[in-house]
Amino acid sequence: MTRYILGRILSLVFVLFAVSVIVFSVMHAVPGGPFDATDGKLPPAAMENIMRKYGLDKPVWQQYLNYMGNALRFDFGIPYQQPHTTVAALIRKTWGVTVQVGIMTLIVAFGIGIAAGMFAAYNQNSWVDNLVTFTTTLGFTVPNFVVAMWFILFFAVARQWLPMGGWGSSQCLIGSFFCTDWILPVIAYSLAPMAVVARYTRASIVDVKRADYIRTARAKGVSERKVMSKHVFRNAQIPMVTALGTEIPNLITGSIFIESIFRINGLGKFFVTSTLNRDYPMIMATFLLIALLWGITYLLTDIAYTVIDPRVRLGGRKEA
Amino acid sequence: MAFLKSKTKEPLAPASPIRQSRSFWQDARKRFFRNRLAVIGLIIVSIIVVLAVFADILAPYDYDRAYFDRVLQKPLQHPEHILGTDEVGRDYLSRLIFGARTSLIVALSVQGIAVLIGVPLGVLAGYLGGRFDFVFSRIIEVMTAFPSLLFAILIISVLGGGLKTIIVALSITSWIGISRLARAQILSLREQDYALAARALGVKEWHIMMRHLLPNALSPILVAVSFGIPSAIFAEAGLSFLGLGVNDPIASWGKMVGVSNAYVRVYWHLALFPTLAIALTMLGFTFLGDGLQDALDPKQEE
Repeated sequence: MTRYILGRILSLVFVLFAVSVIVFSVMHAVPGGPFDATDGKLPPAAMENIMRKYGLDKPVWQQYLNYMGNALRFDFGIPYQQPHTTVAALIRKTWGVTVQVGIMTLIVAFGIGIAAGMFAAYNQNSWVDNLVTFTTTLGFTVPNFVVAMWFILFFAVARQWLPMGGWGSSQCLIGSFFCTDWILPVIAYSLAPMAVVARYTRASIVDVKRADYIRTARAKGVSERKVMSKHVFRNAQIPMVTALGTEIPNLITGSIFIESIFRINGLGKFFVTSTLNRDYPMIMATFLLIALLWGITYLLTDIAYTVIDPRVRLGGRKEA
Repeated sequence: MAFLKSKTKEPLAPASPIRQSRSFWQDARKRFFRNRLAVIGLIIVSIIVVLAVFADILAPYDYDRAYFDRVLQKPLQHPEHILGTDEVGRDYLSRLIFGARTSLIVALSVQGIAVLIGVPLGVLAGYLGGRFDFVFSRIIEVMTAFPSLLFAILIISVLGGGLKTIIVALSITSWIGISRLARAQILSLREQDYALAARALGVKEWHIMMRHLLPNALSPILVAVSFGIPSAIFAEAGLSFLGLGVNDPIASWGKMVGVSNAYVRVYWHLALFPTLAIALTMLGFTFLGDGLQDALDPKQEE
């Protein structure tokens, strides 16, 4: 187990290294730089100074080594667009908002998704089941910015019930938490993962319901409620963890669309402005963060399997 | 995407004493047309395709014809513009029709490239194994660490927007899923008895791969492509929505939604029609994909 985890961490390091090389070379593949827009306005000497200050006058490989050397010491540089702060601080600030959106969405998506999936599975082939199946198809087919636009048209334009955008700037329950402007983005954002969770939950419960040990439990006279809660639900958890593992990094790295349609100043929206401004340090840091998150969640998902189901052995061999 | 499977409840035709022999594809077609949602999907997709191909004939105006005296007309406000006009006075219905063309061009090109790159690489990796497979798997591992949309944005920020750039940017990550699928298919198929039998009979390796393994791997790949099309449509619409997609004056549903965001308080029609177009198209392709999956994979049927 330990060996397996160590191996996985090693391969994560390799992936991070590869990601950094690829992103760095893509960014520098085309001539031009972040300060092109100032061309002509600044005297050449000032331009030279700027280039020297950010190390952009050095060859690309040296810039890369410098950047990675600093990054290993958790110094991710200074964002070109906001030179008075650091990349780390800027990411902390914008990512904080994105994580809030993500966690709220996660709660709504998994709460309703699991409930709907269970309900559908326990009433298999009834109208409830068909309704859930149909709604979930809509949920992950229609893009979230389309749903978001419909919400805005209905709840903010046709009926002025809820604000059109913002995050924590309208009426709130506690401080700047649980505000009316949270409602539309969170619901619009949660529909797709909710659909995935509901499908996974339904499929896995339907699968387990047919297993022999469930029939055995019934034959022994275990009450129907206990069969469902203790036997069926417990064994149906593995696919749910899989869904959780794939949805979490998606959600907490932020939906660019939700953030830009509702004007939420999170990491996703910021990433778009960073790439458009060729803000090299910001782009690098964002990609490394996302790759790291993906790697860690996948690893944790695999470890979670062994906790839920002791039969699962990581690395394919028995523990000594 | 096995969980996307919709249910077809009726069993296959009851076995008559003398059963006419039917090929796999005939069977698949029968299963497909028995599935109501699949047929609805096929109809929607056909309409979209017709609109895209014959946009020049069907659209009342050209996509870039702007009437500066008829800016931001609401639907039916001006007798000649049923769905109104946009912020520079272009006929909205015509822009919607031409938008279908943009969506399909991007989606089909991206999926085409994905198949052309992904299938040969995946098949080779699965068949050759060894060092080639090792390198292949590492590349896949690294590429999956990139959220494809973010990577596309990065590429576009370097190359600049435009139809061609979008296709390139989306293609770079689109082949991975198909490639992985092809590899997995070949890995399991090459261990099948008929592959072994062919090898024992002295059939050449190349021949085994092309004639025995690849045709059997075809239907999962076809299903993957049919799901890849709506996701490429989504990606194009999303990028254009963010202002990173096609350049003006080319019509794109995503861009129309993005632009409408600024006018939504008053000119609701600018937001409503393109969002409906995107949603309908995505649904059509998804139903079609579900139907294909059920039709082509009878083993899943229970």
